[in-house]
Amino acid sequence: MPLDTSTYNLALLRVDGRRWNELRRVHAQIRTQAAADGSSYLEMGHTKVMCVVTGPSEPGPRRGGVAGGGSGGAGAGGAGGKAEVVVGIVIAGFSSVDRKRHGRGDKRTLELASTVANALAASLHTHLFPHSQINVSLHVLSQDGSLLAALINAATLACVDAGIPMTDYVAACTAGSTSTYAANDEGADPLLDLNHQEEQELPGLTVATLGESDRVAVLVCESRVQVSRLEGMLAVGVDGCKQMREILDRVVRDKGRRMIQEGTVEKGVGLDDMDVD
Amino acid sequence: MASSQHVLLSPAELAYLHASLSLTPPIRPDGRSPTQFRPLVAETGILPGTNGSARICFADGTEAIVGVKAEVERTAQRPGEETVFLEEGGGGDGDGDDDDDEEGETGAQGDRRKGEASWVEMTVEIPGLRDDDSGTAFLSAMLSEALLADGEFVKRLWINRRFHWKLYLDIILISPPLSYPLPLLSLTTHLALLSTRLPRLKSEGDEDPFFDDDWAAAPYLFPRSSSSSATAATNTTATKQPATATRPPITLLVMAFGNNIIFDPSKEELAVADVALAVSVTSSNSSSNSSGDGENDEAASAGGRSLRLLSIRTIDPPSRLTPPGVPNAANAAYGAAAALGTQKMLEARTAETEAVEGVWRAPRGGAKRMVLGALVQKTLERGGVVDEVLDALEGVDLG
Repeated sequence: MPLDTSTYNLALLRVDGRRWNELRRVHAQIRTQAAADGSSYLEMGHTKVMCVVTGPSEPGPRRGGVAGGGSGGAGAGGAGGKAEVVVGIVIAGFSSVDRKRHGRGDKRTLELASTVANALAASLHTHLFPHSQINVSLHVLSQDGSLLAALINAATLACVDAGIPMTDYVAACTAGSTSTYAANDEGADPLLDLNHQEEQELPGLTVATLGESDRVAVLVCESRVQVSRLEGMLAVGVDGCKQMREILDRVVRDKGRRMIQEGTVEKGVGLDDMDVD
Repeated sequence: MASSQHVLLSPAELAYLHASLSLTPPIRPDGRSPTQFRPLVAETGILPGTNGSARICFADGTEAIVGVKAEVERTAQRPGEETVFLEEGGGGDGDGDDDDDEEGETGAQGDRRKGEASWVEMTVEIPGLRDDDSGTAFLSAMLSEALLADGEFVKRLWINRRFHWKLYLDIILISPPLSYPLPLLSLTTHLALLSTRLPRLKSEGDEDPFFDDDWAAAPYLFPRSSSSSATAATNTTATKQPATATRPPITLLVMAFGNNIIFDPSKEELAVADVALAVSVTSSNSSSNSSGDGENDEAASAGGRSLRLLSIRTIDPPSRLTPPGVPNAANAAYGAAAALGTQKMLEARTAETEAVEGVWRAPRGGAKRMVLGALVQKTLERGGVVDEVLDALEGVDLG
């Protein structure tokens, strides 16, 4: 079903009623699961992702093809004196509109996993945990575009929950452009946070930045787009990542504040700047 | 797989655990009574994109999500049955008109509605395990076996002679498999099926199926006993349901220690079990009770439910794989046996095979028939654990 992009120029509203620079509703939770070292749940619009982090722990016996479904590893395990980040992604059969079985060896899933693993390995202080493994298992419950961005954000939150030292949040977001590549429209506006419909039709990229800085940690673009439009898309994407970082940070702080209030954890030295009522 | 997962307990600890569970009354490590379940958190309707979904968190931190998706599929016609269909086709239109007299209808409809096991497809995803892992395959086989055992469930997927619903059940274990996940997955599947709704059928007879757009009007696959009478009058699909409101099956783990029967084992308890059974049970509220509408819900749910056994599977408890403990007298590390001659070594070997107080010895041989019978009887007991679990699950608000 082709996306009707013609109406955008009339009201400057997208198919779901957003402006060009608006994120979808983001809802996130951390510590959703008692048994895991770290866990999180993230919704970006209708994209829903769950993440469970186990580790850093002793690497288990190597099974054939590494643990989990689409999985990717990054950082040398053991020998390099750094923890290995192993990411497994399970895409539920019921996640898309039409039920589709995603096999374990699905190349797309593997690529997503290795992208997430590389992004995490670069920002986690893996050198503090030599000869160990950090297992990140991601479950996709519902898909509506910006899947990679949601996976990265969920993994970041779960790593924060697991208490693994990291340089900063890795916040991700997608950006696109209002007209297709074929239209070759010079005046096309950049768009923030694509949904599934837009992702199908319009050029888009996924960008992840490190914290509040402009340092790009992940940049994935799988569609054809004119070079002249790329800069605008990237700028909007990086801006979106900053918004996303604020959201993630608020989630973590809220949870931390609640835990202190409930007495789950003691108010520590570093927490003085947090205003606990 | 997970059932044979090793727990990090020493032989002495295993022996202590086994001894305390064999006492009368048994003492469980977490202080529960033998029939007490661990608390769980359950919610349904978490995924609007599915026909039915549920999430359950067990107290030990394991968590599962089940999503149900349904698609309309054309029923494969067999040439031999074609003539029969044509004959009954004339009567089929009449059925749609006189839905009011259900008593006469259900018998005839019940015969006509057929189902096949291939209409249900179940997949189980366990993180860290391959798709074709034997444990995963066994779990999925046990769960689908319970669902398909009596052939009643697939009849609910019948639309008309030419079409049926194909039901996809995707079961995902979110947490790492800390304990044997069968009861968790089964209860989550039960809840997901309870919350499953299929669009209301608007077409009649053997036409190409045509459904109502209104999701609010979509009937539940398993109509609730209290509301089923109300919905039965309004929609045609509900009339296809038999008079008894059955529930999806649940599969529970039951263990035996000597003469003690213990439900809902934790990982450590399962590790020392003599016998572990996976018992699948379904419930049907008998029609005689549900016809009395004046009765309050409690009476109907407690007295009206009749439990039916669907399947039994023995689970290999990990205790069969645990290495036996060695008495000090026979342990070379203590220097006792090292200096002994061959005569004493033989004695030591016999000592190893005999039961020694405080030394773990893995149970040998199969389960005794009496024990199996007692396990099943205890499970099907009225007002027992299954009733309790079903009541609790019925109390979950269907979102």
